[in-house]
Amino acid sequence: MWKNAVALTQKIYLFPRCNGLRSISGLPCSTSCRNSLNNISRIRSINIQPYRCTSFFNKLPADHLWSGVTGVSNAGKKRGRGKGIGRKSSKDLNRGQVIGVGKANIVWPGLNAPIIRGRELVQQQQLPPDPEREKKLEEIRNKMGVFKPLRLSPMERGWSGSKMPGRSIGPPDSIGEDNFEGFDTKVLELKLVVNMSGNFGRKRRVSSLVVTGNGNGLAGFAMGKANDAKASLRTAKNRAGQKLVFVDIYKNHTVYHDFFCQFGKTKIFVQKKPEGYGLHCHRAIKTMCEVIGIKDLHAKIEGPTNLGHIIKAFFLGLVQQKTHKALAEEKKLHLVEFRKENGNYPEVVASPTKCRSPEEIPAEEVLDYTQYCMGNRIVLKKKKYPPFYTKLPFWTVCMKKKENIRNHDKVRLHLMSEYGEIRSFLTDKYPECKPFYKSPSEEVDAEN
Amino acid sequence: MALNMARVWCRCSSYCIKKNNFPNVGVNFLHLSRSVAGYERDPAPLFFSPDVQRIMRKMTKVDVKKVFRSRKLGEKLDAPEYKFLTSEELEQYMKETEKKVEERLQVPPIVKEREEINEVLSVDRALTGYDSAKFVFTDITFGVPNKDRIIVVREPDGTLRKAFWNERFRMNQIYFPEPDRQLRTPHMFEEPYLTNVLDRGEYEFVLDRACVQYEPNDPEYYRVTSTTYDHIEKEQMFDALQSTRHFGALAFYLCWNKQIDNFVLYYIQNDRIEDAVMLIQLFHLLNPESKSAETDSKDALKFIQAYISKDSSRKSVLEIALQSFLELQKQRQFVEEGIKKAHGM
Repeated sequence: MWKNAVALTQKIYLFPRCNGLRSISGLPCSTSCRNSLNNISRIRSINIQPYRCTSFFNKLPADHLWSGVTGVSNAGKKRGRGKGIGRKSSKDLNRGQVIGVGKANIVWPGLNAPIIRGRELVQQQQLPPDPEREKKLEEIRNKMGVFKPLRLSPMERGWSGSKMPGRSIGPPDSIGEDNFEGFDTKVLELKLVVNMSGNFGRKRRVSSLVVTGNGNGLAGFAMGKANDAKASLRTAKNRAGQKLVFVDIYKNHTVYHDFFCQFGKTKIFVQKKPEGYGLHCHRAIKTMCEVIGIKDLHAKIEGPTNLGHIIKAFFLGLVQQKTHKALAEEKKLHLVEFRKENGNYPEVVASPTKCRSPEEIPAEEVLDYTQYCMGNRIVLKKKKYPPFYTKLPFWTVCMKKKENIRNHDKVRLHLMSEYGEIRSFLTDKYPECKPFYKSPSEEVDAEN
Repeated sequence: MALNMARVWCRCSSYCIKKNNFPNVGVNFLHLSRSVAGYERDPAPLFFSPDVQRIMRKMTKVDVKKVFRSRKLGEKLDAPEYKFLTSEELEQYMKETEKKVEERLQVPPIVKEREEINEVLSVDRALTGYDSAKFVFTDITFGVPNKDRIIVVREPDGTLRKAFWNERFRMNQIYFPEPDRQLRTPHMFEEPYLTNVLDRGEYEFVLDRACVQYEPNDPEYYRVTSTTYDHIEKEQMFDALQSTRHFGALAFYLCWNKQIDNFVLYYIQNDRIEDAVMLIQLFHLLNPESKSAETDSKDALKFIQAYISKDSSRKSVLEIALQSFLELQKQRQFVEEGIKKAHGM
C-alpha cells in the first residue's frame, strides 16, 4: 500500500502544472491517475480536496503585479492622481534576502557556509529558527513604499520647497587647467518649454537660467536647454563659466554707488548700504549678489519681474558702475567721503588730475553725488502714513491699557543688571515678597 | 550712600530757598582729616599753564585717522555720504576738521580732589522727630551751574545742613540729567570688573566713561583714572592712548607721581628720543625741585642722560637701554655709509 502511494507521488511530479487534488497527508495527485486511484480506493484514510496551482500570482511578472497595486487608471492620471504625499510605490521583496538563507535556518556547506572549517568537513544541518531575520525583513519592507520627501538641509534649500531655483549646483566643470576653484553656481530659473513643429509635433525641453561666480567679483550667467533638467543645468552652468565678467565691489561688501539700471521695461534702483545691512532685494538679485560677493545692498524693482530681464538689467548696472577715480575725473572735482561713525571726517577718496575752480562750475550743473550717479534721476520716496488701524477705536483702548506697563521691560532689564533679581523698594522689608515666576527646571522638580 | 535707607523727600521749588536766608551764625566747618590720596599739592595751576598744555598737546601726536576712527557707539550705521568739492571747499572742510581735532584732544582737567561738605546751616531742635525721613531741598532755577546749585538737607533731628557731595550728585542728576551718566556707579568701575576691563586693554573706554560719569574733582574719578594709568604703565601699553585726549593726562599723572622711568625706557627702546625729551621736560615743569631740572642741555642725549643719572630710580636699566640705542645708531650709520659707497655716491 505505501509503495503505491510513493509511486503516485513520483508520477505526479511529472505533471506539476495541471489542476489536481491534494490529499490531507500532503501527497498530491492528478486527474490522469484517477484509474490508479480507483485501484487504491480501498485506502480510506486519504481525504481528497480540489487544489489549483495557477493564479495571476505565478502567471505575471512582479512589475505587472505591482503596477496593479500602485498604479492609477488612465483617467485618474489625467486628473493628477497618484502623485505627491500618500502615493503608493512598489516594494522590492528581494531586498534583504540572501541566497541560501531562508525561514528554515539550515547550514548548506558551500552555499551559506564554508565546506571545510578548520580541519573538519562542515555538515549540512538545521539550526533552530532565527526570529531576528524575519523581523529585519519586515522592517526593511516597511521602510519601502512610503513616500519620502527630498531631505535637504536648510542651507541647501532654494527659494521654495525642494524646487531648483535658488539652489546651488556647484562650480562649472573644469576645462583643461581651468578648474573654476572657489566658484559656485546657483539656479535662477528651471522650466519646461515646448516647441510645436510640423514634423515632430509638440517637443518638450527643459530650459534653465543659472548664475555662477567666485564670490569675489567674478561672475557670469547663461541659459541652457536640454531634454532633461540635469543636462540642462549642466549646459547652463558650463556656459555661464565661459561668460564671466568682473564687477568691482566696494570694500568687499557693497556696490560703488547708488545706480539705476534698466532692461526692457524692468527698472532697478540699487542703493549702496553700510556693513551689516544685508541684501534687501528681489530673491533673484539676492542670489546673484551672493554669487558675486556683494553683501550689503538695497534694490527695488519697478516694472515686470521677468527673471531674464532682472538678471540682464542688474548685470548691466553693475558693469556700468564708475569707480571713485573715474567720477572725480569726470567731474574734475574732489570726491570726499563723510562717515557718521568717523565723526564726519572728510576723507578724500579720489582727486582729479586738475581740479575746477568754483567759477568754472555752471550754476545748473548737478553736484549732488547720488543724483549724478543715478543719471539725474531722483527716486520717488513716498511719504509713509501711519497705518489705518491707528485710527480705529481699539487702538486707543489698547494704548491706554498699555500705558502703565509700557516701560516694564526696560525696568526689569535694569533691575536684573543692577541687583540680579526683580525687586522693589519693599523687598528689604518683605524679602518673601517676590514676583511669581517658576523656571522650567523648578517646574520639573515640582512635578517629580 | 548716606540716603541709603531713608525715604527721601525731594521738594523741588525754585523759590523756596534763597541764599540770603541762610543764617550765617550757625555755619561751622567740619573738615574731615582725610588724606588726599593723589594730589597733595594742587595740580590745577600747573595743569592749566600754557607750557604744560603745549607739551601735552605735542606729545599726543595727532594722527587724524586715529582721532576720527570708527567707533562703536551702538548706533545704526548709515551708508557714507559723498560730496563733489572744489579745492577751496575741501580746504574749508579741512580747517573745520582741525578745529574738531582740537576739541576732541582737549585733555580732561586734572584738579585737586574735593573735600566733603560738612556745613551745618542751623539746628532747630523743635523739629526733632517730625518725620523719619530726611528732606532734601533743591534749587532748580534754570541756568544755575550744577556746581553752585543750592541743595540743603533737613535731618530728622532738626539739623539743616548743606548736602553732601553724593547727595548733590543725585539731586543734580535727577533734575538736570547729564546724558549717559548713571545715578548709580556702573559696576564696571567696581573692583573685579575694572581689572578685568583693563586686562582686556580697553583703557580708552574706561577713561572715556569715567569722564562722563564723574566730575574731575571726584575722588572716584581719581581712583579709576590712576588705576588705569598704573595699569598702562605696568603693561607698557603707552601707544594705546596715543592720539587720544587721555595721552596728556597719562603723561601728566606719571610725571606728577615721578614714575616715568618705564615710559622713558619705552621711548628709548622704540628710538623715540624726541618724545623722551618732551616727557622729561614735562617732568621738570611739574617737579621744579628735581635735581635734573637745572640742566638746559640742547643735546637730547645729554638731556636724557642728566635725568637718568640724577632723578631716575632705575638707573642701570635706562643706562643700558641708552647705550644699546647709541650702538644701534652707530651701526646704522655704518651700514648707510657702506650702502652709499657701494652706490658710488
